[in-house]
Amino acid sequence: MAPAAPIKARPAPIEAKLSHTAALILQAIHAGQVYGFSVMEKTGLPSGTVYPAMRRLERDGLILSKWENQSIADAEQRPPRKYYKLTRAGKDMLEALYKRYPLLEKLIPTPQMEKA
Amino acid sequence: MRQDPLKSHPISRLLLRSASVLVPSRDRAEWLAEWKAELWHVLHSHREGRDEATGKIATHPGPTAFCLGAFQDAWWLRQHNPQQLSRLLPRPGSPAMCLLSLAGWAAATFMLAMCLPGARKAILPMPYPDADSLVLISPGGASMSSLPPVRLADYRSWQTTARPLFTELAYYQPLMKRVHIAPHRTAELSIVRASANLFDMLRFPSVSSKQEQDSQHLQGLLLSESAWREYFESDPAIAGRVVEVAGLRARIVGVLPKDRWRLPGRADAWMVADAPEVNSLPPNSKGFVLAAMRPSAFPDGPTGQHWMTVYRANGDSEMFECVSLAEQTRQPFSIYLFTLFVAFLALPATTPLPLGEYPARAERLGWSVRVRRWLFLAAKLALILPLVYFASMDLAYGNIASGLHSAGPVSSQYLQLASSFFGLLFAFRWALRDQRGRCPVCLRLLTNPARVGEASRNFLAWNGTELICAGGHGLLHIPEIPTSWFSTQRWLYLDPSWSSLFTDVHAAPAGVL
Repeated sequence: MAPAAPIKARPAPIEAKLSHTAALILQAIHAGQVYGFSVMEKTGLPSGTVYPAMRRLERDGLILSKWENQSIADAEQRPPRKYYKLTRAGKDMLEALYKRYPLLEKLIPTPQMEKA
Repeated sequence: MRQDPLKSHPISRLLLRSASVLVPSRDRAEWLAEWKAELWHVLHSHREGRDEATGKIATHPGPTAFCLGAFQDAWWLRQHNPQQLSRLLPRPGSPAMCLLSLAGWAAATFMLAMCLPGARKAILPMPYPDADSLVLISPGGASMSSLPPVRLADYRSWQTTARPLFTELAYYQPLMKRVHIAPHRTAELSIVRASANLFDMLRFPSVSSKQEQDSQHLQGLLLSESAWREYFESDPAIAGRVVEVAGLRARIVGVLPKDRWRLPGRADAWMVADAPEVNSLPPNSKGFVLAAMRPSAFPDGPTGQHWMTVYRANGDSEMFECVSLAEQTRQPFSIYLFTLFVAFLALPATTPLPLGEYPARAERLGWSVRVRRWLFLAAKLALILPLVYFASMDLAYGNIASGLHSAGPVSSQYLQLASSFFGLLFAFRWALRDQRGRCPVCLRLLTNPARVGEASRNFLAWNGTELICAGGHGLLHIPEIPTSWFSTQRWLYLDPSWSSLFTDVHAAPAGVL
């Protein structure tokens, strides 16, 4: 008797469990606002909300942070910044969030959407 | 460009550094670096007044908002690190916990005093600008009476005979009157009928009298804030409403803020009594007399307490007391100072004053440790003073003991005298005993009491209680029966070789041993 084929788990559909604030931040990062301050500007959220929320998103693997190269900052005579970008899981989550918050894309449009 | 109080870079950086202290140490450098980097851009954009990405004028979070947000970030981090949070809090038995508890109790008693109207009035200074020169006249020994003490006939007579002493005399009489507040709704209110000059002397809003009636021939009625809240549902448009006071229609002219009426006698509302109306009252009806003293008549100054002799037609004389309003406010504090003095005198009778013997190796105690010990004791005593003061005021004037009904001024003073004296005495006693029960090096409370020795062998070896400093600084020996060779407690210092026995050594400040 042939051995039974191994059962492969199908990826579960992502459940959009993030708050609207977290969704806004994800969308802002997706739209190219890759610093804490620019996210604050774009979303209008205060710093006391944005940074902890970004830490949570990073902890949950939805975004990644990376410090800017010191030499670039030195050349521009400013302190180095911390960049944020969406991970694969973050992008999937954002796709799921569009269904839950349909106006998200219109609130913070990506540059492509603005051009269109 | 918008103005921001924190546009100065060093101040903002200082604030961010302060916020970083709250961040758990392992994340501190990372967070501070990110905040500083972002601050640079916040300040840059703030100066430009433009959106960094689009170049449009945008609503940037200013440096102030950003720095305050850093504190929120730090607090969020603390909340998600409960272990770190608990490290910030002082440990039970530590000197910081002791001082924090005392400060907390002092603040609580102060807050309670501010919530209790009677205590608040006794603590806060008089709101009248001329409180030093305004005196209440009452028969000798009745200055604290809450009942009207002066006959109207005396007031009438002083208006002419006491002119050399007083520039002005005002009369008022609180009477319970039925007031028709609204159709089918009445209430019994204490209405103060006062001579018109009382309002001027106290700088109250003017209230029209019968002679100065408005276009509808209505007399003015000034409401107290408590009556306004209780009987008129805090109606903001109360001014102008017409009510009936014992059959007399009156127009409400305003509401007097709470704590503005500090004279004896309960007052829910005030009305002006014209001179003819005052004169029509029976001569034996009693009221309160407020007088403005003539400065030239009192070379020692009008403030304080003065006596006035009144000679009657039959040859008798009567002494009247003139107590300034400012003096009335000072009386509770004077009582407190007196009880403080008496408590200090009585303290040696309740507990020994020495803080214990520290003979062994005392020379190795650094001066900073010794200064810290004395500063700790001074801080405890300094916190006890307001704590007992406010607690005694709550008890005596807040009418807690009498179920929020006025206990009467004399009873209140006796209550304050007793509570303040016993409170101070036992608080000082506690402060000394607490100090003796603490390690002289780290000031934490000594723990693990153990019985040592036997009472039957008292003359061969000491017997009593041994306490240990959890920081490993030493042992305290307290004799059960003081003897000529072991009369008071002794401190035995432990050298660092004992530290391996103590788990909490590192929590103690840098030792001197």
